[in-house]
Amino acid sequence: MSTSNSAVHAHKAEIFCKDESRVDWHSKALWLLREKRDRAAGSLPEWEQLRQIGSEMKLHTLTHLGQYLEEFEQNCIKNNIQVHWARDGVEHNRIVHEILAKHQVKKLVKSKSMLTEECHMNPYLEQHGIEVIDTDLGERIIQLAGQPPSHIVVPAIHLKKEEVGDLFHDKLGTDAGASDPLYLTRAARAHLREQFLSADAAMTGVNMAIADKGAVVVCTNEGNADMGANLPKLQLHSMGIDKLVPNIDSAAVLLRTLARNATGQPITTYSSFYRGPQDGGEMHVIIVDNGRTDMLKDKILAESLKCIRCGGCLNTCPVYRRSGGYSYNYTIPGPIGIAVGSQRDDTNSIPWACTLCGSCSYVCPTKVPLDKIIHHHRRLKAEAGKLPYGKASYMPLVGKFMASETALNCSMSVARIALRILPGSLLKPFSGAWGKYRELPVAPNSSFEAWFKKNRG
Amino acid sequence: MSSKHDILNALKSAAIAPQSMPVIDISPRIDDLIGQFETSLNTVAGTLHREGGLAKLQAQVDEHIAQGMQIISMVDGVKGNREVTDTAHQLRDIDYAVIPGDLGVAENGAIWVNNKNLGHRVTPFICENLFLVLKASTIVANMHQAASRITLESGEFGTFIAGPSKTADIEQALVVGAHGACSLNVYLV
Repeated sequence: MSTSNSAVHAHKAEIFCKDESRVDWHSKALWLLREKRDRAAGSLPEWEQLRQIGSEMKLHTLTHLGQYLEEFEQNCIKNNIQVHWARDGVEHNRIVHEILAKHQVKKLVKSKSMLTEECHMNPYLEQHGIEVIDTDLGERIIQLAGQPPSHIVVPAIHLKKEEVGDLFHDKLGTDAGASDPLYLTRAARAHLREQFLSADAAMTGVNMAIADKGAVVVCTNEGNADMGANLPKLQLHSMGIDKLVPNIDSAAVLLRTLARNATGQPITTYSSFYRGPQDGGEMHVIIVDNGRTDMLKDKILAESLKCIRCGGCLNTCPVYRRSGGYSYNYTIPGPIGIAVGSQRDDTNSIPWACTLCGSCSYVCPTKVPLDKIIHHHRRLKAEAGKLPYGKASYMPLVGKFMASETALNCSMSVARIALRILPGSLLKPFSGAWGKYRELPVAPNSSFEAWFKKNRG
Repeated sequence: MSSKHDILNALKSAAIAPQSMPVIDISPRIDDLIGQFETSLNTVAGTLHREGGLAKLQAQVDEHIAQGMQIISMVDGVKGNREVTDTAHQLRDIDYAVIPGDLGVAENGAIWVNNKNLGHRVTPFICENLFLVLKASTIVANMHQAASRITLESGEFGTFIAGPSKTADIEQALVVGAHGACSLNVYLV
């Protein structure tokens, strides 16, 4: 095994789980979002219809993606938008840097884009002497703290207000010990206003790219994308190829579900459509593949590209809520992170950061079959001979053992007797990680097979 | 080979069979559109003024001006004390902006604003507070209806605004007033 155990999901989760009260707090904060989502979904009689249409519309777009991408590009050009194509993160960063260098940009204000995180753009630009300011409050908090996001919609969900207060005291000069969210938010507002007003260029992610209009849609609650993009003359938008939708009607379907499923709001405060640069300005769109066409080559993995990044699957996931966003070895955590990040996970452990409970698939607004995709990743890992340490050695044996009726029956009867007559302290070590936080089961009197023969046979 | 060519080429080996585009046929809730709109606007922390129209708005504006506030109006019939500036950045000290909305959406309280009516695109975001003026007759039931009515010509910018700017990034505590306007009052005309 080339990777150290410390990077494996279970070990990273263990670090997070050391502070039990924080785990409870984290889990509750996210469950609150899930409850709000349920209320918002429940208030629309057509909710299930919207999920179905969203799913079919995204599938339609993905299966005609070449056509829509070309249509989008042509229409962008008509609208005076400059379009760039990037195979991977490296090319994306190079393109962004070229545009910024040409305009001698010193300071870039950025609105939340998981894609630029995926491409590790900030450090790249900083190496080239460009200051990058994340402007979403949560993003700014973790940027000041020198951390990556731990959630795709609420990136600083793992931090407590006292920790933010200490950080702001240190970096922004707020009063020592102040932790009131209103006070801290106002301080950040003042600080970020100065950044917006002094930036040379702005960059945002893209929620939807509308093919027949040649326009991009950006959704925020804070207005940071619009404060950014509409002040300097240069605006850049990075988007994955999966962000395409055919027309405004399809964008409207997703706008109805995105915020409701993310935070329970009926819509984000700002849903902005950019169909060209401001007067005398420049607008660039960078279309990025970075592994997405590879995923489309696999029928099951392809469906993960229906995702609209609402974060609903993270909020409902019992594993994410109790293991934190940093345990996934990928920029995007939780169920969708496993779906789109497993192939890059050199610890080969994240497909097992899941109980296959299916709650994520149940809440997904575009019906991404997340549990099916995660299960599929386990198979892909096994087929590639990349089962994580431990599983690689015992899983084949378990398979052989379970396939033999005699061996299984025999050992089960031994186990039942052992559970009945031997002390728990003697048996517990054999249950491994399973028994760490659980009591051993009470042994039934007979096997299920015997019970079935007697009662139902 | 160009990256565009590579990406489009790679798409040819996509595994899923082509799927057709679904029909978007959702029946709108058309009862009491203004009532629905008001409820939704309250949910997103905005306030609706049903009665009084432009006269009430002008009175409000005058009162703020008397208190020394900086007010820019992009609505015919409402007079502020500031004009459109040369650069967008000069709007940094605007306390209130008065802007016309093109249509309102009952299901979520959002109002479509188009850059034709903004002076600078940043006006509704950079102002400390926002007054939107909306014709009652332009309220539609849902986003599907809104999508079919919004205008977004080549080169334009438009945005659905649903309430004042807000955030809950610090411990999930809702704070109204992040980077955009700290309050939103909608005047129905």
